[in-house]
Amino acid sequence: MIINHPLLGPRDAAEFIYLGDACLIDRPDWQAEDAAEQFYEYGYLRDNPAGEHQELWYHEQGDRSWLVVTRDTLSHKITKVELARDVAVARGRG
Amino acid sequence: MPEYTLISAPPLAGYDKDFTGAALKAPGDLAIVAVALPLKGEAAAKKAIKAAYGKALPEPGKSVASKDGARLVRLGQDAAFVIFTHATPDAEAVVGGKLKDTVYVTDQTDVWTGLEISGPNARTALERICPLDLHPAAFAVDDAYRTVMEHLGVLIIRTGEDAYLLLSASSSANSFLHAVETSITNVS
Amino acid sequence: MSQVNRIEGGLIDRSKTLSFTFNGKAMQGHPGDTLASALLANGQTLVGRSFKYHRPRGIFTSGSEEPNALVQLRTGAHQEPNTRATVAELFDGLNATSQNHRGSLEFDMMAMTDFVSPFLSAGFYYKTFMWPKAFWEKFYEPVIRSSAGLGRLSMQEDPDIYDKGFLHCDLLVIGAGPAGLSAALAAGRSGARVILADEDFAPGGRLNAETLEVDGMAGADWATQAIDELSAMDNVRVMTRSTVYGAYDHGIYGVLERCTDHLASSNGKPRQILWRVYSKRAVLAAGATERPIAFGNNDRPGVMLAGAVRDYANRYGVTPGQQVAVFTNNDDGWRTAADLAAKGVQVSAIIDSRDAPAVCDVPGARHVRNAAVVDTVGRKGLKSVTLTDGQVIPVDCLAVSGGWNPNVHLTCHQRGRPTWDDDLSAFVPGGELPVGMAVAGAANGAMTLGAALQSGRDVANAQVKDLGFTASRKAAPKAEDEPRECAAFWHVKESKKRAWLDQQNDVTVKDVKLSHTEGYRSVELLKRYTTLGMATDQGKTANIPALAIMAECTGKTIPETGTTIFRPPYTPVPLGALGGRARGKDFRPYRLTPSHKWAEENGASFVTVGNWMRAEWYTRPGEKGWRDSVDREAKNTRESVGICDVTTLGKIDVKGKDAGEFLNKVYSNTFSTLAVGKVRYGLMLREDGICYDDGTTARMGENHYVMTTTTANAVLVFRRMEFARQCLWPDLDVHLISTTDGWAQFAVAGPNSRNLLRKVVDEEHDISNEAFPFMGCGEITVCGGMPARLFRISFSGELAFEIAVPARYGNSMMGVLNEAGKEFNVAPYGTEALGVMRIEKGHATANELNGQTTAHNIGLGKMVSQKKECIGNVLSQREELIRDDDIRLMGFHPVDRNEKLIAGSHFITKGEDAIMDNDQGWMTSVAFSPNLGHSVGLGFIKRGHERKGEIVRAVSPVHGKEIEVEIVSAHMIDPEGERLRA
Repeated sequence: MIINHPLLGPRDAAEFIYLGDACLIDRPDWQAEDAAEQFYEYGYLRDNPAGEHQELWYHEQGDRSWLVVTRDTLSHKITKVELARDVAVARGRG
Repeated sequence: MPEYTLISAPPLAGYDKDFTGAALKAPGDLAIVAVALPLKGEAAAKKAIKAAYGKALPEPGKSVASKDGARLVRLGQDAAFVIFTHATPDAEAVVGGKLKDTVYVTDQTDVWTGLEISGPNARTALERICPLDLHPAAFAVDDAYRTVMEHLGVLIIRTGEDAYLLLSASSSANSFLHAVETSITNVS
Repeated sequence: MSQVNRIEGGLIDRSKTLSFTFNGKAMQGHPGDTLASALLANGQTLVGRSFKYHRPRGIFTSGSEEPNALVQLRTGAHQEPNTRATVAELFDGLNATSQNHRGSLEFDMMAMTDFVSPFLSAGFYYKTFMWPKAFWEKFYEPVIRSSAGLGRLSMQEDPDIYDKGFLHCDLLVIGAGPAGLSAALAAGRSGARVILADEDFAPGGRLNAETLEVDGMAGADWATQAIDELSAMDNVRVMTRSTVYGAYDHGIYGVLERCTDHLASSNGKPRQILWRVYSKRAVLAAGATERPIAFGNNDRPGVMLAGAVRDYANRYGVTPGQQVAVFTNNDDGWRTAADLAAKGVQVSAIIDSRDAPAVCDVPGARHVRNAAVVDTVGRKGLKSVTLTDGQVIPVDCLAVSGGWNPNVHLTCHQRGRPTWDDDLSAFVPGGELPVGMAVAGAANGAMTLGAALQSGRDVANAQVKDLGFTASRKAAPKAEDEPRECAAFWHVKESKKRAWLDQQNDVTVKDVKLSHTEGYRSVELLKRYTTLGMATDQGKTANIPALAIMAECTGKTIPETGTTIFRPPYTPVPLGALGGRARGKDFRPYRLTPSHKWAEENGASFVTVGNWMRAEWYTRPGEKGWRDSVDREAKNTRESVGICDVTTLGKIDVKGKDAGEFLNKVYSNTFSTLAVGKVRYGLMLREDGICYDDGTTARMGENHYVMTTTTANAVLVFRRMEFARQCLWPDLDVHLISTTDGWAQFAVAGPNSRNLLRKVVDEEHDISNEAFPFMGCGEITVCGGMPARLFRISFSGELAFEIAVPARYGNSMMGVLNEAGKEFNVAPYGTEALGVMRIEKGHATANELNGQTTAHNIGLGKMVSQKKECIGNVLSQREELIRDDDIRLMGFHPVDRNEKLIAGSHFITKGEDAIMDNDQGWMTSVAFSPNLGHSVGLGFIKRGHERKGEIVRAVSPVHGKEIEVEIVSAHMIDPEGERLRA
């Protein structure tokens, strides 16, 4: 596979490490009333879509950036690649 | 006079070899200092770099040589290397002194081992281990990318028409040298 | 034997003669020959025995689709089995042998299997070797094993070397036949970066096999001219002997280049290269493969595909027989008859299944209309064929054509499904093609030469235009469109004898019918039940006729019946090529510690830890075994001073205004309050509350921390911290950089460690206990100004320091420390003594932090702060993870001090049965403690902290042994920690 890095252009997937669903960015509030329940869902529950999936890839053999890659799990077609930092900020983390 | 003296012995010190169509050399006294741009302090950091080196910090994947011979390599959004020739183990202080408190500097000199590969066969040899497209149209002089060759992380900088500087981890320097040498002999 | 079948013409160099042997017989050929063409030239029709029935077999095709002519090449360690003679280039001195027979090729003792064939139908193995069960291991399996397989491995190490590589292009053109050449020329002229790859050593594809003209010249000459033009273009790379074997995601293709297989010796260069080609676009111009017609005894040596017979005559100047007949269902078969007749070969008859007039005039040949071959005669070489009307025609070669199948394989590698074309009676590319791929020429159903050339140009132009290049306006090369009418005809129903479909796996028409009868009707089941298409040729000539027969049985159409999925590789790829350089000591890279050289010179043995090579102990003269060395090192360290290279521990420099705040979040305990010049032990949790990693982190400055990780987790912890930095807390000003390789770090441990360091640390730095207490750190200089980092930390439990200097001075530093320490009897120690001392001291490592244990389990529950946000603290408080009666890390001493503890033993309370229900925990680490004089262990045991002094049983059912042990504090040496504060 080839991931089109937003800063560095197309790179072989061999340069990257896969983590999983990009929902891992949405870490719950540790002080919430139901924090334990929320962390349980955060830690253990994932959707497994046949189709479009937002997922985290780490450019370990590159600029060490975490990316959010939108990939179709059926065709491996990648429609969007973003810096995870930007996604995290856009989702209100900082 | 101290009783004991420490001797510098980088892994590939003095390595310099000519092959058919390519030369391979471990450059001596290559100092590398990592520069991190503080969050929300990027503008000030870039200004300081421009003032100290006379060149703007390039975009990620690019490098630029300053007047005094230092090479600024932009690795990522908030990370860059300054690579220059310097023998004594105080490179971090040298760069830190120039950029003051506008950036965070960390000595990387001994983290890496350098190999210069040059000659008409250099690109053909690298084809055997480097997944990047090194065609002149795709990888211009001064372009600088990190990638992986034979399981080892490598920073590759195109320093001339058919010359490249390769940096890889110093602990695996021997394996890296073996990989590059094998590539050269396989294509010669 | 002379070249009895050599005829005029061909693309071979008759000025040179090459000598080779087949089964020891000396034969001759010429440059340009394949082994197959040379064998045929020498009249060698019988070349092998079939896999299952040991039927005599000959050469069936002239290309990579060959099912039969598998031979063994070369001798000794270079011996290579199962090579297709049809693609093996002839070289002087080639030594080839046939395979799969006991005794000689002519008199194979295993041929009896053919006569018991009624018992060996499809599914025979499944049905027969089921019972009696006891027979399997002792009888059936050894018998099957000894008769299975074709060629033999040399059982020696492969003396050749292999390489890999990466190529990039705008357009990859797959196949250098007419369509591929036309495509490459068009794309090359546009300025796009083009790679043209072809499996053959002579590009041109069918142009080399035909007498057709392109642009007014012989097709083969035009191909040579096209290659010359392409080779002169800087933007084009022509790769011959290179098979594109797989189409992968996003325009990546696998290519196997055979560099030296056509030479007598590799001369130290890679024999084959496995290329990964990154293409923006691709043109598949893989051509088409002819298919046979199934009839009785159609597998005799001498029965061949018609296109192959023509290829041998036109390209190699060889006729496969002296008296030839053609059996065809299409116009193309007629060209074989015409070309052979034109070269003076006697063509006796053209048997056309169609009731149609002659396609062309073939001098001397009878045209038998509306007829078919039902049977053949000639066990080791064809003698005659029998037609449906009973007439017998004496021939030594029968050229069969059942039509042509487009080579759609690569279009299906991303699960695309081909579609059926009624006009061609064949599958053509359909559905979704791999990203960026377009198909041209015969592979796309453009079966005639003029159409193929046109399609190559047009498809390539469209592809390069899509990439933004200006397509060349030059017209496609011109050629006639030859007649190609074809009427589907799959097998001769009148045949009573076995009719072969898959010759390599010996699958017959009857087997397919049996598969249908027994209910295995889906193509996927048909394939697995009969092994159809599962041989090394992947059924290139067999699959479609077999599908047609299954369709007949079920009354469905062929497209309704469907095809199996084509998967890479298109043709076999040697394991040597897949392995590339990764063999022996080059299997993976090695990391050496800075003091590696010193260690080598001082008797060290090394152990691999991940990619690191670490000294495990240093053998001194007179030491008889490793225990002698390790006991001495551990004892010497506790009694005086020892030195260990600990560079391999991960080091991460953490910098930024929010560095302390950040560390609060990744560690379970607090770091923002740590004073500059101090070190703290830190414990990391996973988000689920389980222990992840531990180490010490030193605060070197206001905005600067130096973290250490375990050796094994260095990369993982860095990755995780980058995740936390970028994805979880992007608002913090913090920056990470690995400095693991940058600092040579040494543990200097033991009561004399300070005295030793005093001799190398520059005088202005006070390292007394008062100025530099336990858990202190600082930037100092050594040996007259050398920058160094000093940490007062202890893994051994002794008064100890870790000192770091720039890595390039590390080897020298190891020498200096040992020199300076002579007066204290200093000794270096390796990872084994390090392990002994940490067990004695009760420090946890991976054995204890095994991904299942909590901070609570290792007695550090209180360290997990609930007053701040940090990874893992919420879920670490789950009820089951903080149970008071849960396991705790404890020390264990054998009651009988002579007993040797066993790691992995389970603890059972005295008087209870040693069953899982009574399991109390397990022993994680054991060592012989030279300081205590007996075996000691660490382990987890339920409510351990309340059970000190209790005797339990440590049971190891694996070893059949149990030992009584006393539960003690995990800190078996200096439990109060007085030594490290000394």
